[in-house]
Amino acid sequence: MSTSGPASAGMPHVKSLNCPGCGASLTVRSFGNAVTIICNSCHSILDAQDPKLKILQTFKAKANEDPPLIPLGSRGTIRGVAYEAIGFQRRTIQVEGISYSWHEYVLFNPIKGFRYLTEYDGHWNDVSILRSLPDLSPGEGSLKYLGETYNHFQTANAATSFVLGEFPWQVRVGETVQVSDYVSPPRVISGEGTRKEATWSMGEYMAGREVWKAFNLGGQPPAAIGVYENQPSPLGANVKGVWTLLGVFLAALLAMAVGFYSVARDEEVFDQTYMFDTTPKGEASFVTDTFQLKGRTSDVELTTSAQVDNNWIYINYALINQDTGHAYDFGREVSYYHGYDSDGSWTEGSRENRVVVPSVPPGNYYLRIEPESDPHRGTITYTVTLKRDVPQASFFGIAILALLLPAGILTWRSLNFEHLRWAESDYGKAPDDGSLLSSVENIAGSFKSSGDKE
Amino acid sequence: MIRRLFLFYGLAVLAAVSFAEYRGWSLNRMDEVPNVPRSVRDNPGSYRSVYGFYHHYTGGK
Repeated sequence: MSTSGPASAGMPHVKSLNCPGCGASLTVRSFGNAVTIICNSCHSILDAQDPKLKILQTFKAKANEDPPLIPLGSRGTIRGVAYEAIGFQRRTIQVEGISYSWHEYVLFNPIKGFRYLTEYDGHWNDVSILRSLPDLSPGEGSLKYLGETYNHFQTANAATSFVLGEFPWQVRVGETVQVSDYVSPPRVISGEGTRKEATWSMGEYMAGREVWKAFNLGGQPPAAIGVYENQPSPLGANVKGVWTLLGVFLAALLAMAVGFYSVARDEEVFDQTYMFDTTPKGEASFVTDTFQLKGRTSDVELTTSAQVDNNWIYINYALINQDTGHAYDFGREVSYYHGYDSDGSWTEGSRENRVVVPSVPPGNYYLRIEPESDPHRGTITYTVTLKRDVPQASFFGIAILALLLPAGILTWRSLNFEHLRWAESDYGKAPDDGSLLSSVENIAGSFKSSGDKE
Repeated sequence: MIRRLFLFYGLAVLAAVSFAEYRGWSLNRMDEVPNVPRSVRDNPGSYRSVYGFYHHYTGGK
């Protein structure tokens, strides 16, 4: 094995050799940098540092082994640097008896060295080896790196189950190493090895389409399934912004309410008390004197107060514009009942009723009033009061709900995304770091535990 | 994108509330009757209310 000369800037040189096991041709792309080379024909792992390419291990590959999604030899640009895919391995962990496998691609640039891409269920990570050690907290619940806190997500024993191409380390199929992942989306820091001796790497989440574009691959990347450990939430950054906007809108609503309540006329334009004799004797309807509604087109609030006692009165109203003949026709009932039974005293209804007539233009108006009630119930005294241009609190309430609803849905979806993320962790829930999600999960957990006790 | 959408949505909500308050809208259902004859003033019984046949609740437990 000889080198092809010093590597120049650009892509690595390619050298062809033969496998000492089966004689098949080997393509070496990172010559001088690879530690092991795998023969694709007989699946022998060869010592690339040995001039005779000593066979280190031979393994059996499954007939239906998944081929690399990025074919070895493919060249692509990651963060402005040209790399060539030179190695591929599948690693597998066992969690509760279920195997989970992901793929790792070794990328090589003669100047920048090695870089890695990992892929699991359509989720990709751009991985590079850390140059300095992260600050691991005593409980290993989190670590700090460059001022950022990474929460522990999962620790598992990962076994190498398939290899292809070239590797800058002594790779072996079946070799197992403990892998711990700490996440701070969109980044993940992974430690491989023992607590005393570990290799630390940092991955940054990439969408499949970015990988496809970087390597100019045909077709579509496999669709991402589920939520990955360091997948950035598509809503996370928006939630804070939306709640900030919501605060601004609520403050604006409050200011508007103060403004409308302070400038509203809220003017009493009519107030009369009438007596209704329930004894049937001819026409009960009558009209009031004319009163003036001033100002712009606005509402009119009509209040009916009746001295009913275990009785009701229903009044047909017509607010009629004397000049145009345009009428607003409506009816209001005032009923009030009370009594005493085995449950104690009770009341039902009210002696007062309010109704708002919308968008009444200014002008001269009168009311046509037609009271009704059960016959022979004596005389009912009732008062009719009209107010012009009364602010309606209901619209402000509806506006608050209308603003809260999308913000709440967005927050719920964001929390659900984080919940799905952490459901795949060793803990099955978010870390107890005071975040909204952890608070919600703690509350849900306390409800569940109290329910279990019952 | 979502923040921008919410910004426009929120502004639309504020505008709708302002307009509703300014125009004196109401959540109450109201029937409008055009051209009520002037004679109603002298003969209130000639007016036929939309709610004249309302079924009254007689209340109580």
